[in-house]
Amino acid sequence: MLRYSILFDHWDMYLQGFTNTLKASVLALIGSLAIGIIIAIFRIAPIRPLNWLGAAYVEFIRNIPLVLIVFVFFVGLPAVGIRLDPFTAGTLGLMVYTAAFIAEVIRSGILAVPKGQMEAARSSGLTYLQTMRYIILPQAIKIVIPPLGNQFINLVKNSSVLGVIAGFDLMYFGDLISSETFVTFDVYIFVALFYLVLTIPLSLGVGYLERRLAKTR
Amino acid sequence: MIYFHQVNKYYGDFHVLKDINLTIHQGEVVVIIGPSGSGKSTLVRCINRLETISSGELIVDNVKVNDKHIDINQLRRNIGMVFQHFNLYPHMTVLQNITLAPMKVLRIPEKEAKETAMYYLEKVGIPDKANAYPSELSGGQQQRVAIARGLAMKPKIMLFDEPTSALDPETIGEVLDVMKQLAKEGMTMVVVTHEMGFAREVADRIVFMDQGRILEEAPPEEFFANPKEERAKVFLRRILNH
Ligand SMILES: Nc1ncnc2c1ncn2[C@@H]1O[C@H](COP(=O)(O)OP(=O)(O)OP(=O)(O)O)[C@@H](O)[C@H]1O
Ligand SMILES: [Mg+2]
Repeated sequence: MLRYSILFDHWDMYLQGFTNTLKASVLALIGSLAIGIIIAIFRIAPIRPLNWLGAAYVEFIRNIPLVLIVFVFFVGLPAVGIRLDPFTAGTLGLMVYTAAFIAEVIRSGILAVPKGQMEAARSSGLTYLQTMRYIILPQAIKIVIPPLGNQFINLVKNSSVLGVIAGFDLMYFGDLISSETFVTFDVYIFVALFYLVLTIPLSLGVGYLERRLAKTR
Repeated sequence: MIYFHQVNKYYGDFHVLKDINLTIHQGEVVVIIGPSGSGKSTLVRCINRLETISSGELIVDNVKVNDKHIDINQLRRNIGMVFQHFNLYPHMTVLQNITLAPMKVLRIPEKEAKETAMYYLEKVGIPDKANAYPSELSGGQQQRVAIARGLAMKPKIMLFDEPTSALDPETIGEVLDVMKQLAKEGMTMVVVTHEMGFAREVADRIVFMDQGRILEEAPPEEFFANPKEERAKVFLRRILNH
């Protein structure tokens, strides 16, 4: 039997952790989507130096462990005089890390749009960026919704990295409650349930979007 | 209006366009024919710089197309293009397809852009499809929308690259009719097509290409009655026999 008293006695802590995990996830999600789109466009724009820059970002970032990136923000930046609180450092690390994966997803989505679309739009006098905005990205979005959903779910789970640098997220408070109560199993089961509260609706939401977009053309 | 002088183009080692010389005047309808792979599409796509030339001179509407200092979007707004596979924007309605460039490129207000769009939709005979999506239209209807989309920019030149090749035989006619009408109204047109009836009836000039070269250039009566080049004869015999 689960000891529910643990949940009730430490409800405040769980809730604070949950709120912070939610906040970190939402911020990192928005940020990584924006960075990811920019990096993806860098990678495919007809400008060589931007291609290299985009490729370097993706290859560099996605091939290092997330924890290390977060450490760079948390202990690396203070070395050059920029001091961030753990929550901010963790969220930024998560954002930068996830952006590399999102960039790849978006890039493949853009490449999946038939090239006649770009030709038709450019030949009508639209600029490259206008074409991206009005023609290519809206079509690419539909293609990338499912893989993007996976990245978002990964992002929520990966936000637990904040716990490592005391970022006041769910994982951090889980550790705290566990060390106060000397209970492990039950404490972390509740932590897991809180994560599910975030990830399952996300998963369902992506499925719903996918079905709705399939109906429109 | 369009002036090719000693134009050459390579794809890597492959020599696609060889010493092209061609002048097209305002109001002329020029039909380009030739076997598959002879460089017809490439030639037409150079005119609005969807392809870049490797050497020579190409002047369109008094602009050196491959000059680095020109604003290519400025030139392109004067050149409409119609593709074999229509290339309509599938996520937009017919009306949105047509009004996008006028609104974003020419900065025409939405209301006026819609009126212009409706005018051209009437012209191509499908005003009732304004709010349909491309996927709800037949091939012939889609191609007519594509033509209306090009015309809505009020271009000086219209380029057509095999506009009827992807169509069912019964819808080819409706697209050709629109093109004939356009030619009659004095539009400068460059058309790649295998529709010899259209070429004969509408073209001011036929340009025959083979292996990257323009082999023959003549008015249609002359070209069809009495092609000078052996390869043009062979090509005509093959194409007219089915
Ligand atoms: N991007 C490219 N890279 C390399 N070769 C190309 C490219 N595009 C076209 N080619 C080659 O250039 C040649 C001319 O192509 P083009 O499309 O202009 O021919 P076409 O006369 O339009 O033929 P079709 O009637 O089949 O449309 C072909 O041999 C083709 O394989
Ligand atoms: Mg072709």
